[in-house]
Amino acid sequence: MVMVEERATVENLAKSRHLLVVGKSIERIDSLDKVLGKPIYTMDILPENALYLKVVRSTHAHALLKRVDVSKARKHPGVVAVVTAQDIPGINESTALLPDKPLLASERVRFAGEPIAAIASYDPAIAEEAVDLVEVDYAPLPAVFSPVDAFKADAPKVHPDGNIAKHMKLRKGNIEEGFKQADIIVEETYKSQFQEPVPLEPEAGFVIPEPDGSVTCVGSIQSPFHVQTGIAKILSLRPEQVRVIQAVTGGAFGPKSDEIPVDVLGMAALVAVKTRKPAALAYTREESMIGHTKRHPFVTTLKAGVKKNGALTAWETTMLADTGAYASLGPLVVIRACFHATGPYVIPHVKTDAFCVYTNNTMAGSFRGFGGPQAHFAAESHMDAIAKKLDMDPLDLRLLNMLRPGSLMATSQVVDESFGLEECVKKAIEESDWHRKREQFSKMKGPKRRGLGIALMYHGNSLGPEGSDYASVNMQIEKDGTVRFRTGLTEYGTGAPSGLIQIAAETMHLPVEYFKIDPPDTDYCNDTGPTVASRTITIGGRATQMVAGELHQKLKEIAAGMLGSSAKDVESENGVFSVRTNPRSSVSYSNVVRSAYDQGVQLKESGTFTAPKCEYDPETSQGTTYLQYTYGAVTAEVEVDTETGQLQVLKMVTAYDVGKAINPLSLEGQIEGGTVQGLGYAIMEELVHKDGVVLNPNLADYYIPTSLDIPEIKSVIVEYPGHLGPYGAKAIGEPPIVLPAPAIVNAIDNAIGVRLNEIPATPDRVLIAYKRMIEKTQKA
Amino acid sequence: MAKHLLKFSVNGKDHALVVESHERLLDVLRDRLGLKGTKEGCGTGDCGICAVLMDGKLINSCLIFAVQARNKKIQTVEALGTADNLHPVQRAFMKWNASQCGFCIPAMLLAAKDLLDHNPSPTDDEIREATSGILCRCTGYVKIVEAVQTAASEMRK
Repeated sequence: MVMVEERATVENLAKSRHLLVVGKSIERIDSLDKVLGKPIYTMDILPENALYLKVVRSTHAHALLKRVDVSKARKHPGVVAVVTAQDIPGINESTALLPDKPLLASERVRFAGEPIAAIASYDPAIAEEAVDLVEVDYAPLPAVFSPVDAFKADAPKVHPDGNIAKHMKLRKGNIEEGFKQADIIVEETYKSQFQEPVPLEPEAGFVIPEPDGSVTCVGSIQSPFHVQTGIAKILSLRPEQVRVIQAVTGGAFGPKSDEIPVDVLGMAALVAVKTRKPAALAYTREESMIGHTKRHPFVTTLKAGVKKNGALTAWETTMLADTGAYASLGPLVVIRACFHATGPYVIPHVKTDAFCVYTNNTMAGSFRGFGGPQAHFAAESHMDAIAKKLDMDPLDLRLLNMLRPGSLMATSQVVDESFGLEECVKKAIEESDWHRKREQFSKMKGPKRRGLGIALMYHGNSLGPEGSDYASVNMQIEKDGTVRFRTGLTEYGTGAPSGLIQIAAETMHLPVEYFKIDPPDTDYCNDTGPTVASRTITIGGRATQMVAGELHQKLKEIAAGMLGSSAKDVESENGVFSVRTNPRSSVSYSNVVRSAYDQGVQLKESGTFTAPKCEYDPETSQGTTYLQYTYGAVTAEVEVDTETGQLQVLKMVTAYDVGKAINPLSLEGQIEGGTVQGLGYAIMEELVHKDGVVLNPNLADYYIPTSLDIPEIKSVIVEYPGHLGPYGAKAIGEPPIVLPAPAIVNAIDNAIGVRLNEIPATPDRVLIAYKRMIEKTQKA
Repeated sequence: MAKHLLKFSVNGKDHALVVESHERLLDVLRDRLGLKGTKEGCGTGDCGICAVLMDGKLINSCLIFAVQARNKKIQTVEALGTADNLHPVQRAFMKWNASQCGFCIPAMLLAAKDLLDHNPSPTDDEIREATSGILCRCTGYVKIVEAVQTAASEMRK
């Protein structure tokens, strides 16, 4: 098993002085500009003479492009430029992982909505008009719209190598043996839908052509360095010739991390280099919902072997993930789903096959949770299905099989002592009043019934096997004492960069007011990898601790010189350096900084923290897949109207082992926001495709929760420090979206005795399932 | 296309502009008057992010033609407060970290102000009702409700 070299975080924590900044609910550093409505987002800071782009998109889900004629559009008065694949100086590619997707389609389109050309005008209305003047002749090809159909041998091929972009396997023990040991076998198929991330700011970006042939890209993005390499490839420039600056970003949730910002800025860049004018592209809501990546729909077949007493003996899972026309990060999504397919339980014999499957639907890719929600919806629904078969309390079934320190996960990774799941369950049970309410609800009569459900989770932190896991930070102290903090890790609403400032302030024993974050800018930051996988606090936090620690040491050395002491004897608190043995001999932070400047000492440090590699056997997925885990337990209390199928979620208790809350208030905000996004996934959100065409690409027909849809949310923070993050902090950005769906579906079963194997649990689905169950009972 | 003279007041200042029939109030505010605090989230009146106050009523500025604002008083987020003199709702949103990505916040603040101007002691349900036309995807609305309550008690002092 790989251990983080510096197990120091946990041990140091025990030894450390009382924390002054970390663990405090302080205000985020980005709030003031936001509440003042300052012009900080991409479209607020557009250059005055910018061209606007509008995109010509495929109307067919799968077709050969016989002819793309842009001549009429080009001649349309007011149109300044039209770009197609032929205008690409470099490689026609805008991808996340596999080289399967062009920036602009030239020979074939694989989904309805795929970009074919872009039109630029100073007036966006004129560009829009000209979109209709582009003539495209399609030769339709056979198409496939479900992962189950696409998986069949005779299915139309979306890509030349077939429809399977990734097959991930897990093998633990001997699955046949596991089923032999079982008294009963429970098998079900679970289906989950396309969930649309809906960042409230749709994708936007602009590109400025520089006199030296380089370009500056500004946009609403998560991962500047991915954009930099993507645009460089398209324009045939060196990455250093592409400067990428993140504007303040109005929500992201995943789709702004990979190829989508490369699409947006790539099309704008083609126009910018062609016209030598700044060029901007802002997606409409409809374009965003069609053009960017969503949560993968999964079809999951689960077969479990169980002893009469509830002990799990075998767990066999087949997952088909619909990645749409292009893989995006689908292959990595199925890796994470595969590792988490059993839920947080001890099962001796496990077999998982997870497939990332191409179809001619729109693209799925990164979205908060990244395979975790789909895996846990199936696994945690299945636990209740098993409990129902055994006539057991689903809580007891879980407690019997739950992971514990020393037990083996499905990957055979040993559960370490940083394990807060048991306490999360305890808290969730207490706060939800589990036993009393379940008893009370079981006696309810009449059309409106209540139910209480539970679900448990684990979430491997950061990238694990999904990529090289590093982060870098630059810090510089200015003459007036301001500490300028720079990193390529981006803020898009999470508050994590504000958390990094708390970590830096804690390390340097300075108030947070001294710190200032500069916008992520590839010209001034080292490559930091992507801002994904809830890794800003864990990995970025370690880099921050490292760099702030070095800078602090430098200050101590200068202070020691001023105090006639040595650095090891100097301590600091709240901006005052003093000699440990003689506290009256002291010097202020601002004087130390001034002295450094007088002596010509550079108060500047940068550094990269790289997490140890996760090692596992790719054939069996046995090994160490993640360096630490976040755990959680969620309960949902619902009321179901059996006459209408109407469902109301009344209360949710969300208990998470977060290792260490760097900022409890911000952390609660993450939990509440994720819970509500997960509630939407559970009961109302579904992007509907018909023959590959999205039927509801707008916020009138695609519902997300409003302030009137939210239940009472009780969040409980449990802290079992982990080995990876600073001060033991664990990932929390993604986990809260994982459990609402299974907890709510289990609560519905508790209320009306019906298991829903498909989400979202809309009123019609609830009503139909309930009526079927009543008919069945009456027949019996 | 027909042109119209639009005289209206924005954040207490009188303006006279020539606008075309099809111009939206949102674009006039953002592009002609440079008030970028008002955001566009959907352009179809579904998300509420472009909300401004027109004669003290919360409206979606993407659904209003600029000419419809003739002789009206418009208030945008820029009128609420300044860094040195924040409106209580702005202070309360900061205190609760109720602004995450921040994109819905200008509209939320105006909805909150509008509510508190008419109802100094709202219940949580009344706050939810008053902000229900504005979507937020980050916060789950919990801290927003807390913030509006804090602002209400500040304003009652």
